[in-house]
Amino acid sequence: MRTIIFATAIRYLTPLFLLFSVYILFRGHNHPGGGFIGGLIGSIAFVFHALAHGSDHTVNTYFRLKLYSQEGKQPEHASPQYMWDLVRANTWKRAEEVTPVNWRYYIVRVRPAYMMALGLFLASISGVPGLLQGKPYMTASWLELEIPIIGTLGTPTLFDAGVYLLVLGMVLKMVFTMSKE
Amino acid sequence: MLYAILFGLLMAAVAPLLHRLLGRWVAVPMVLAPLLLLGLYFSFMPEVLQGHAVVQRHTWVPELDINLQFRLDGLSLLFALLISFFGALVMFYASGYLEGDPLLGRFYLFLTLFMTSMLGLVTSDNIFGLFVFWELTSISSYLLIGYKQAEKEARVAAWQALLVTGLGGLALMAGLILLSVAGDSYTFSGLLERRPEVLEHPFYLPAVVLVLLGCFTKSAQFPFHFWLPNAMAAPTPVSAYLHSATMVKAGIYLLARLSPVLSGPDVWHVSLMTAGGITAVLGAVLALQHTDLKAILAYTTISALGLLVTMLGIGTDEAMKAMLVFLLAHALYKGTLFLVAGGIDHRTGTRDLNRLFSLGKHMRYSGTAATLAALSMAGVIPFLGFVGKELLYEASLENYLLLGICLVTGVAFVAVALIMGYRIFWHKGEEKTQVHPHAHFRLYFPPLVLAFGGLLLGLLVNSQALPLLQQGVRTITADPSLELKLSLWHGFTPVLGLSILTLLLGLALYLALPWLGQRAAVLQPLYRVGPDAAYHKLFELFLHGSKSFILWLQDGHLRSYVMYIMFFFCGLLLFILWRDTPGIDFNDRIYQLQEVRLYELVVLFLVISALVYLLGTRSRLTSIVVMGLIGYSSALFYILFGAPDVAATQFLIETLTVVIFVLLLHKLPAFIYLSHQFMKYKFIAISVVFGALMTYVMLLVQQQAIPSQLKEYYGKVSYLEAHGRNIVNVILVDFRGLDTLGEITVLAVAALGIFSLLRLNPEKGGKP
Repeated sequence: MRTIIFATAIRYLTPLFLLFSVYILFRGHNHPGGGFIGGLIGSIAFVFHALAHGSDHTVNTYFRLKLYSQEGKQPEHASPQYMWDLVRANTWKRAEEVTPVNWRYYIVRVRPAYMMALGLFLASISGVPGLLQGKPYMTASWLELEIPIIGTLGTPTLFDAGVYLLVLGMVLKMVFTMSKE
Repeated sequence: MLYAILFGLLMAAVAPLLHRLLGRWVAVPMVLAPLLLLGLYFSFMPEVLQGHAVVQRHTWVPELDINLQFRLDGLSLLFALLISFFGALVMFYASGYLEGDPLLGRFYLFLTLFMTSMLGLVTSDNIFGLFVFWELTSISSYLLIGYKQAEKEARVAAWQALLVTGLGGLALMAGLILLSVAGDSYTFSGLLERRPEVLEHPFYLPAVVLVLLGCFTKSAQFPFHFWLPNAMAAPTPVSAYLHSATMVKAGIYLLARLSPVLSGPDVWHVSLMTAGGITAVLGAVLALQHTDLKAILAYTTISALGLLVTMLGIGTDEAMKAMLVFLLAHALYKGTLFLVAGGIDHRTGTRDLNRLFSLGKHMRYSGTAATLAALSMAGVIPFLGFVGKELLYEASLENYLLLGICLVTGVAFVAVALIMGYRIFWHKGEEKTQVHPHAHFRLYFPPLVLAFGGLLLGLLVNSQALPLLQQGVRTITADPSLELKLSLWHGFTPVLGLSILTLLLGLALYLALPWLGQRAAVLQPLYRVGPDAAYHKLFELFLHGSKSFILWLQDGHLRSYVMYIMFFFCGLLLFILWRDTPGIDFNDRIYQLQEVRLYELVVLFLVISALVYLLGTRSRLTSIVVMGLIGYSSALFYILFGAPDVAATQFLIETLTVVIFVLLLHKLPAFIYLSHQFMKYKFIAISVVFGALMTYVMLLVQQQAIPSQLKEYYGKVSYLEAHGRNIVNVILVDFRGLDTLGEITVLAVAALGIFSLLRLNPEKGGKP
């Protein structure tokens, strides 16, 4: 499946897909859409990326964050120059190109199983505000403000976001496991 | 009393932690806890002795009338004192017996849990409260029997005890529910007040049968006695506490508690006397055939329990008195003997009768305790056992059969007492037993206390023990004016003659034992057809049966499962259609065909041709793509009929399915036809039937639509109150949010299951 056109197109399409999936998630309250569909779209974005580039590459690009810091430097005696280097090294430049000192890095990994757990957690915690107000579990409460495109925010939105994350994590977990073997 | 229970549960929960913090000193708080409870229950004594019951009520589940209502009357108090007193001694003993055991904390957890649930059992007035504690004792007994988890014998015995008592527990629950329906009350005190209604009610007989089943399994009555000897795989303190003094008496307690409500009709008395009598004689006979000390004690316990049940079955005031006094005496002497047996095991490493000789020189204190207890067991004046035995004979004097049972049991008890109190300690044998030199205070002090307790209560029987026992008897007979008179010396009565005869016969039996032992080998084949063997046969049969049933039902082919589900569903639908015979008026529907648009026909044609092609294809890739085509077409249908949400989901799912298939394509085995031509037609037929039925049902639903305001209601409320215009989504995340939460939880669990299946590596034997 390594065709260059597909691979290049997917590289730019995946963020768009993701953006669209989040849009679908928030749109769901008033128009067709919602957490389940949004999660499926989001997972399809990653699945296509994995199809084009291999799942290891997808994991490295989207689910693994390399954070650089210089060895021996403590944050409290940080100079502006060091801060600037740090920002550059962690964003667009390769660390080795910024300064030729020893860089230390931490790897933050987002595992799909964690996303599932987080989704379940968010969904179940979205009912707690109702409880705190002395009403039955899962009584909805809403913010008073209206945000463009997204709409009003409230505990059902949180619930839907939980569904989104769960579906996303579940499909990714399956696909990554299958393609790894 | 609720706080007593909560305190016990708390102590149980912190026991492992205390063990980690305090090391072997964990015994100190664990012994103090039962002592504290003992003091608490003593503080209720004056009130109870005046004939009042202490009642405390805490609501738990008021909708179902399940409340923690505690009621402390004479019977409950007697048991509660016995349990907490014994508990303290056993906790103390266990710290010596299990010294250095790394799992001592866990042992104390189980033991305290048991003690607490037993206390809850005897003080509950609400039947459901009693049932909860009843089951808790079964569970903690299971945990304690299986304490030596490395030994297969212990695990099997634990299973057996749990299954037998658990099964009885289920029966008991059914029986208690029937009783509560019959008496329209959920408390024992309420049932007592409505006794006439209970006796008249048609549920009386089934309730009695079920309750008896529960009590007989718990108290090891024939034919459920077999679990008790096997339960001796537990550490000795457990055997002494649970399987001799307290837990097995829970059944006796419940029978005594229900006796004023249920006694009267013959069925109660006859079944109690029959089961109790058989158990008493059987236990006595079996006890003499064994050489393991604990086995002997276990069978005599069974026998004693049988006697208690017999007394309850006789049901006269004398019998109830005898029952209660004998129960107390038995708890004291049998507990002592068990603890002594544990001490012997600890010092010599064996419990085999034929290898233990003249231990008295090395184990003076244990020997004293054992001798005192044995004298009480044999019923020698002035021990409490003597009083108990006299009362037993007095209660059964009128019926020669019952008298015979008492006599046989008594004679066997005397023989066993001679073995326990004389032979292994003081009898001069030819060979010496190797004894570990170090005597352990914690191992001989508790049995000494118990043994002297039996002696003291016997001497002071008409001053100290009397008031409480009298209240207990009044509770059982529900006669608040009953007087209980106990005395050591009655003068020369026939009963005294019987006592002396028992002693003489017992001595003769003891002397004849070696000769009898040689003959007893003939009886060995009987064990192969006994209830224990039957249990094991049944257990294996059950395992085998369920295994082959599951292998038949779950053959590992997805198609079979789908087929079962469809078959079942079709069967149900066809049954309903046949029963209600609803007809569809097709004439009304004909005109709808005129509204069919061309594009709908095109999609329909697409689906059907794809289906036909799918049936003939011999390539996996083609079939995946064609399946995708069918899925997309049905999504088109959803769009055409105005369900954009469903359509979007269908599109996405189809896409994902195809992609996942593509990912897996090169890993799947070659596409082969697992089914021959006939199977294919069979599947086609099933699918067509299923589809036709579903269509028929859909048409039926449309024709007989139930008028409902649900649609209007959701349409209105979802915008006004839930701030959403997409009703489907609002229902999913708001109105029925809890359902969705359940569904996504299922989804997550299913995903974990899929994940672990994917990680299985079949080539390595299914190991991950």
